[in-house]
Amino acid sequence: MLGGLIDANVKGRPEKQGDFEQLVARVGIWVTDIDEGVTLDFKGGKLVVHNGLEAKRTITIRADAETVMSLSNLKIGPLGLPVYYDETGRAVAGKLLRRKLQIDGLLPNLLTLNAVTRIFSVQ
Amino acid sequence: MAIKAFSEEWAGAFKDEVNKSAVYKNAGKGWKWTVGLVIEAEPNKHFPESKGVVMDLFDGSARDIHVGSAADAQKCDFVITAPYTRWKEVATKQLDATKGMLQGKLKLKGDLPTIVRYTKASQEMTECTTRVPVEWPDEK
Repeated sequence: MLGGLIDANVKGRPEKQGDFEQLVARVGIWVTDIDEGVTLDFKGGKLVVHNGLEAKRTITIRADAETVMSLSNLKIGPLGLPVYYDETGRAVAGKLLRRKLQIDGLLPNLLTLNAVTRIFSVQ
Repeated sequence: MAIKAFSEEWAGAFKDEVNKSAVYKNAGKGWKWTVGLVIEAEPNKHFPESKGVVMDLFDGSARDIHVGSAADAQKCDFVITAPYTRWKEVATKQLDATKGMLQGKLKLKGDLPTIVRYTKASQEMTECTTRVPVEWPDEK
């Protein structure tokens, strides 16, 4: 579903094309309450989706299903940065602080995370 | 009193629950597409023929919800398909619809970004189904 979401987003929203063309990263998403996950392998304009977590991931997001859906509902604000001050953003930030949302590799890959969020966002 | 699952009476009660929900009224604002639920047959569960639930939802309210054929439901803008047992799990809160979609247990056809934008509304729709007392054919 997550691969399908990105595919539909990139095809339907031209403003996401730039990020998609440039992004080279392996992003793991582990949905904690169903114990399943995927690795989204962005290869500069191409996306390969693997079931489960593959090795050599740039970042890995671990959260429950509801939070994963919230991530795709983050609004994108000025300078292409995710908005963390509206209701959805505050909820996501709160989960990050309470470690209900964990992002391995966050600090050295903040720009990558922002690009992934822009591609992932349906707002 | 319990209502026969996926009957016209059930559809009416479900519609009433949706229209009573303040949460749905707010979360469903801006929604303007039809949604079809395909309940696939499971003869061994006394659900011998596939059915469709056709929902005309508009801007936070349910204009119409009725039971028809699976083919009727498949004509909707968004179609969610699962066997009878899965839908029963959703309606009895044993399966969260969001998780079910992520796991592919509920198969979704339609524009994914749109339905993800309305995650809260679809969660509340699920909540509304759980408020209708149901008589399940495999529990008779």
